[in-house]
Amino acid sequence: MNGQNTRARRPPLAGPAPLLDRVLALASPYNSSLLLLIVFLVVIVVGLFVVRDLHSTNVEAQKMYAGSVLGLHRIGELQYQAQETRRSTFYALTTNDSNLQLEYADQSREADRRVNEGIGEYLRQVHMPHEIEVGKRLQRDWSDYLSVRNELLASILEGSTKEAVNLDLKGGVPSFERVRQDLEEIKRLYDQQASEQLANVAATSRRTIFRLIGVLGITLTLASTSVWAIQRSKMLGTIQLAKLQMEFVASVSHELRTPLTVISSAADNIADGLVGGKDQVKRYGLAIRNQCRQITELVNQILLFAATKDRKNRYILRPLQVSQIMDSVRDNTAELVEGAGFVVEQRIESGLPWVMGDLSALSQCLQNLIVNAVKYSGESRWIGIRAFLHDSGEQSGKEISISVEDRGMGIDRLEMPHIFEPFYRGAAVSAAQIHGTGLGLSLAKNIAEAMGGTLSVVSELAVGSVFTLRLPMVEKQELEMASVNSEGDPTIRK
Amino acid sequence: MPRLAGLLFILASAVFSMAAVSLAFAPTLGRLPEPQITTEQNLAIVVSLSNPVENLSMAELRRVFLGERSHWPNGRRITLVMMEPGQPERAVVLRDICQMNETDFNNHFLHGVFTGEVLVSPKTLATPVGVRKFVFNVPGAIGYLRVSDLDSSVKAVRVDERGPEDKGYKLHVPPRSSK
Repeated sequence: MNGQNTRARRPPLAGPAPLLDRVLALASPYNSSLLLLIVFLVVIVVGLFVVRDLHSTNVEAQKMYAGSVLGLHRIGELQYQAQETRRSTFYALTTNDSNLQLEYADQSREADRRVNEGIGEYLRQVHMPHEIEVGKRLQRDWSDYLSVRNELLASILEGSTKEAVNLDLKGGVPSFERVRQDLEEIKRLYDQQASEQLANVAATSRRTIFRLIGVLGITLTLASTSVWAIQRSKMLGTIQLAKLQMEFVASVSHELRTPLTVISSAADNIADGLVGGKDQVKRYGLAIRNQCRQITELVNQILLFAATKDRKNRYILRPLQVSQIMDSVRDNTAELVEGAGFVVEQRIESGLPWVMGDLSALSQCLQNLIVNAVKYSGESRWIGIRAFLHDSGEQSGKEISISVEDRGMGIDRLEMPHIFEPFYRGAAVSAAQIHGTGLGLSLAKNIAEAMGGTLSVVSELAVGSVFTLRLPMVEKQELEMASVNSEGDPTIRK
Repeated sequence: MPRLAGLLFILASAVFSMAAVSLAFAPTLGRLPEPQITTEQNLAIVVSLSNPVENLSMAELRRVFLGERSHWPNGRRITLVMMEPGQPERAVVLRDICQMNETDFNNHFLHGVFTGEVLVSPKTLATPVGVRKFVFNVPGAIGYLRVSDLDSSVKAVRVDERGPEDKGYKLHVPPRSSK
């Protein structure tokens, strides 16, 4: 039946990127939000990587400080305290005062206690086998030195200076040298560790910088692309709308010109006295009346559409019987249908419940469907109208379905999503030069939805189409309430 | 108005004075008085923990303190530790062990060092803490301390088979004079 709404072909999209334009057109209702969402997600993801890198850098830096820097500091302290242990022992050599010698001995022992603590701390901190081995060697060497140091202190306190000096030269110097070498090795290990960690920090920092640059680049690119795409989409939409409107104006002008030409010609013939006889005048009158009706119909459709768009149209809802609606539709389309030689097969289930709606609007809706069936039936001269009770599948229960079926040209599957858009006309319809405004189905759908119903279509090319108007049935309570109020105002304004 | 100012001045002065007094006495307020030992204490003879000697007879002690013995049985050289003259502990050692007075003791060492009869010259320390540290540091050292000055860093030897805590221990020192 209808190509009616397939009537106008959507104008081809201009531009060098048709694929992108198609994608944009598909996503047009969502493109701004979608693109911004994508930008946002990409920035978030890359941002997370950057945050992870920064965290990693921070951890590396902390590890370097806690491990190597503090380690080097500890080793420095150990070296100092080891020297202090030895130095204090030698200070005791410089005096004969036993009390003073004891003070130096105390200082030496205090320093040696700190060294032992430092070695213990080092052994607790390290985990690598080589580090542990060096730590244990230091512990052993330090213990050896302390044995010598104790003997040395004993000799000094006893007053045996010469013996003390000999003891130090023989045992103290070599054992302390071993301790010194151990400490140097630990220091080297810390230095090496610090260098490695510094290299890690530097690498992570470099990576972070590159990623940040990447984030900025991606953000900039995506943002620019988004703005461009949004602008392009809007521009295309505007161009498309403008073209549709131009087509509409051209179509309306054409629709108006044909009857106006007929009226003008008839008027000229009458004025020129070419029409003679009662029958001829009557024929001219009928022709003028028909053309005037056609013009009025067209204007009414346009006004109705404009009113629907402006939400100025107010419907008066009241309980209706399906037969009432069907009668109204039949009356209004009889002339058209019969004139075109169509056979209408009408099947209305008996005992259908009432529906709530505006009689005039519903009649208009179904008229549009029937007019479309007439226009797009091609060679076929058959229209089927059915009214039946239908299970809505929802909690609301059942609904009334009124379908208008034709065996006409059908609608292309690709055009199906657009046929209810205002001004839309299918490519085949335009090619066949079937006149129309592209408003009929849009109006019908608006009316159906305003009545709380739906309008759907099932169609196959070269087979035909079935348009189905579904309306909610009136609940018993609503019907009773309407009948109670029927003396006053039984209607609901919507 | 002047009256009020005067009253405030007096109040402030009182508060300030109280605060000053509190601060002045604060360090002493929380301190407990040191226990005063009023009775005689035993005087322990102390050696290094590494010294194997556990018991000395009074005669051996005399030889040690007079520098007539130079080495311990383990071969370590004996180092004698004395407190400064005038200390009651030193007086007890001179009287009960060396059986000399200060002058005789000094002369003994002067003479002995000169003749070579005395092999050890005593080290003189100012305080019991010094004695204790010296004995701790020098394995061959021997000194003396009040029982109350003993700690685990040194070892008290028995004298004539009696330890300083035992009944019948021979070395006693009068209480410290409180200053």
